[in-house]
Amino acid sequence: MRAPKDNTALPRVQRVVDNPRDRRGQQPAVRITNLVKRYGSFVAVDGVSFSIDEGEIFGIIGPNGAGKTTTVECISGLRDPDSGSISVYGLSPQRDRDRIRDLVGVQLQVSALPPRLKVGEALELFAAFYAKPLDPQEVLESLAIKHIERAAFKNLSGGQKQRVSIALALVGNPKIAILDELTTGLDPEARRDTWALIERMRNRGVTVILVTHFMDEAETLCDRVALINKGRVRALDTPEAIAAEAGTTRLRFVPSRPLADQALFAVDGVQVVERKDRFVTVTGTGDLAASLISALAASGVQVSELEATRGNLDDAFIRLTKDTPPAASEGVQP
Amino acid sequence: MTPSQGGVLSRRSRAQLAALLKVQAKLSIREPYALGLGIGLPAILLVVFGVISKKAAGNVAGSGLTVIDLYVPTVIVISFISIATSLPTTLVRDREIGWLRRISTTPVHPSRLLAVQLIVDLALAAAAIVIVIAGGTAIFGAPLNVNILFFILSLALAIAEIFALGLLTVALAPSQTAATAIRGLVFFALLFLSGLWIQPVQAGAPLRDIMWYSPGGAAARAILYAVFHQAPPVTTLLTLAGYTLVFGFAAVRYFRWE
Repeated sequence: MRAPKDNTALPRVQRVVDNPRDRRGQQPAVRITNLVKRYGSFVAVDGVSFSIDEGEIFGIIGPNGAGKTTTVECISGLRDPDSGSISVYGLSPQRDRDRIRDLVGVQLQVSALPPRLKVGEALELFAAFYAKPLDPQEVLESLAIKHIERAAFKNLSGGQKQRVSIALALVGNPKIAILDELTTGLDPEARRDTWALIERMRNRGVTVILVTHFMDEAETLCDRVALINKGRVRALDTPEAIAAEAGTTRLRFVPSRPLADQALFAVDGVQVVERKDRFVTVTGTGDLAASLISALAASGVQVSELEATRGNLDDAFIRLTKDTPPAASEGVQP
Repeated sequence: MTPSQGGVLSRRSRAQLAALLKVQAKLSIREPYALGLGIGLPAILLVVFGVISKKAAGNVAGSGLTVIDLYVPTVIVISFISIATSLPTTLVRDREIGWLRRISTTPVHPSRLLAVQLIVDLALAAAAIVIVIAGGTAIFGAPLNVNILFFILSLALAIAEIFALGLLTVALAPSQTAATAIRGLVFFALLFLSGLWIQPVQAGAPLRDIMWYSPGGAAARAILYAVFHQAPPVTTLLTLAGYTLVFGFAAVRYFRWE
């Protein structure tokens, strides 16, 4: 077994939102190249490549059956890829199984604990599995589940179970945490709490790989996102950039004098016009704000109380997963 | 189950196993399928047959043995059957809910959990043996004269065979529901074949032979000879060894962790 390189030591991680590529000099935490995984004749993952920087919250989004879970299962060593390569801090999930399992904490999509196992016992058990675990008591406290330490798993609420699941993924003190469909089935408040936990996890220096089909979750949390559909990466960028590329913007404003719909539709890129009270809302693509303001200014209309909302990741998701070129899906579905 | 380095468990492996042992032991007490059936049922049966034996002792079907003499081995085997058939109840569940898979994301392979569960169950089986032998002789006066070598050999083969059958049901059961059904079937079939309702010596020719060469009956027969200081028939020992190999290989062949 190879010893890990020295640069696996965690640096103080600062938040990287705008341009993760600035960190190019550093070895990525995870690098996947041309990953392929078949189940029989079904190609679940069909040439996926991306790398994840240390300290990122990296989202993997896509419709059901897109190959998201299979991809992260290959990273954690739960499945062996048919071809392609995966490097986790320079280690191979297949050849260096034991080392990888110490580095990667996993929260599985479908996984429960034995019903009568108590929360504290589960944490103690998992702590004993790892080389340099965190103190289970501290993990319980940091996830605000100290009070249910003596509760059996079967008596927990959905939100509490998720917290326990996160706690188990963290107690081994991993460098990378893989969280698969973490907030599915949670109520909105529990979801937001869970998001805060993920932020805190990253602030401790853990690289987070978040598999989700909730676009708001990816937008809120992720530094970068890989959108996977039918086993292939359709987009790989910040959520903002992917949303922007899909291209819708929504502008709400009050014009200095009443405007006809026609005048608005004449502006480059405007697709939808809505009105409510004094407010006009236009939705469209391109550099909408600039073209709208300049077009209206040219006809002597000023714009006030302007409010711009980006077309969200949801719009991008729908566009990118619907527009699959036929060649990509040929012979893929059984 | 193979230690990762050489033949000696590293300190870390020992710590991992100790933690697993603690948890599985606690769960075995909280989910007392094996405990209740493996210790409780034999204890009750021992009392039932002990009392019957005291009232109507004597020569069962010309065998020269009393009721309690004949039933001590049967009750011991019933304990093994109860413990082994409780394996699917917890292990199939642990597989179905994804617990074994969850374990396999850690540095510990889920086979360690299985190994530790078997250790807990072996301890239960040992306790059951002590209770039944001690109760049978001290309280109900079975004049046992154990041949220690054959006793250990018979018990080891019986446990190996019946536990292998338990693991085979774990391997084959596709779901908890199926496991419960298979378990019930195997449990009562083995109970019958071990002589709970009728002893082989009381049965007619075809049934007696079926029982003697069945997984439960062969185990009871080997132990019966050993507790009366005799060598069990070679065919009985070979029967046990054969079943152990067949069940064992099939269990390994079809075992799934997820």
